[in-house]
Amino acid sequence: MNPSLKFLLAILIALEISFTNVWMVNVLLAVIGLIIILASRPSIKRLALLFVVPLIPAVALAVAILLQSNAGTHFALVLFTRIYAYVFVGSAATLTTQVSDLVMSLEQNAHIPSKFAYGFLGAFNLLPKIISEVNIIRAAGNMRGQQLHFWSPQLYFKAILASLSWSENLAEAMTSHGFVEDAPRSYYTQIQIRWWDWGILIVSLALLQVALFGLHLQ
Amino acid sequence: MKASNAWHLRDIILLTLIAIFFGVIYWVIGPLYNVLTLALTPVGLGPAANDILMGVWVMAGPLAGYLFKRVGSAFLGEFLGSIVEMFLGGQWGASTMISGVVQGVASELGFTLTGYKRFDWFSLNLSVLTTTIVTFGWDMARNGYASYHLGLLVALFIIRLISTWFFGGLLSKMIVNLLDRTHLMQTQTR
Repeated sequence: MNPSLKFLLAILIALEISFTNVWMVNVLLAVIGLIIILASRPSIKRLALLFVVPLIPAVALAVAILLQSNAGTHFALVLFTRIYAYVFVGSAATLTTQVSDLVMSLEQNAHIPSKFAYGFLGAFNLLPKIISEVNIIRAAGNMRGQQLHFWSPQLYFKAILASLSWSENLAEAMTSHGFVEDAPRSYYTQIQIRWWDWGILIVSLALLQVALFGLHLQ
Repeated sequence: MKASNAWHLRDIILLTLIAIFFGVIYWVIGPLYNVLTLALTPVGLGPAANDILMGVWVMAGPLAGYLFKRVGSAFLGEFLGSIVEMFLGGQWGASTMISGVVQGVASELGFTLTGYKRFDWFSLNLSVLTTTIVTFGWDMARNGYASYHLGLLVALFIIRLISTWFFGGLLSKMIVNLLDRTHLMQTQTR
């Protein structure tokens, strides 16, 4: 499926179930999400995390409703299943899409300016460097007997300083490779929206409405 | 500094890099959220962990607005942060983007209310306030906050306001003060 439309669909679904209270639809969505996730053959560890990590906020929300409100078990169940629907539907989109595909699709199909697409992509590829930079900053602090916590301004200050010099370098590198802001571009990889992409989007949303209203009326 | 509203390649990269740095830092403290939630769940206060740490999740917005002093910077900072977080941790998948949009609009609103004329301590505090109100309203619908007893609801709101003010307001101010002393931002973002 076209990456832009896939993310649009996942977001619309998540948005809609935020305001509806049908737990069976939530379970159904979670199951469909899970099937898509399984089809992408994730590692066992990732799969286990997908089940365990949402359990914490899901239980927390359900218990809070039971103990701190008069909304009852039905609403607790809705909130519990809603968290799983979010996570599985959301992960079904992210686990089956490469960042570069999404960004290229957003540029070609959703027509966001190319400077945003390539600027984001360029910065995103520095991710491993950034992770090691955070470790370096903390280690440098430790060597001077200064422990940097997530509430220490120095940690963020040093991170922003590093970002300043990297962004300068990266922007210059891109410019010297011929990148011109707002210039018309041609694409080596063409990403198209085909009719069945729209088909999947519209049919999925229609089925969701049918399921929501059908089960709600019962 | 005169505010210019055009986004150039360098600013976009800088904003994304800052968003990624924040994403990495959130990621490092992720376990803290889980531990805190687990500890508070038996008394039915699990969601309070979300409010206690709320400031950390949303601080990229007010900080970016205060740092870049441009239309859309608070929104972009928060939104790009959420996209990065989505691909980094992947824990919440694409639904992270919704939170990103809500939080981004919420913190942008504070600067919008001043008509983008002020990017100072006042508008930063205003942004903290709008962030708290809008994200709280969102949680009332999405996470069922609306059905809590009034006392708890007020307590959660106050906790969230303090947390957002500390991280989004005070900490952002301290970070930008440190940066101002280097005089690097003025030449960079023009």
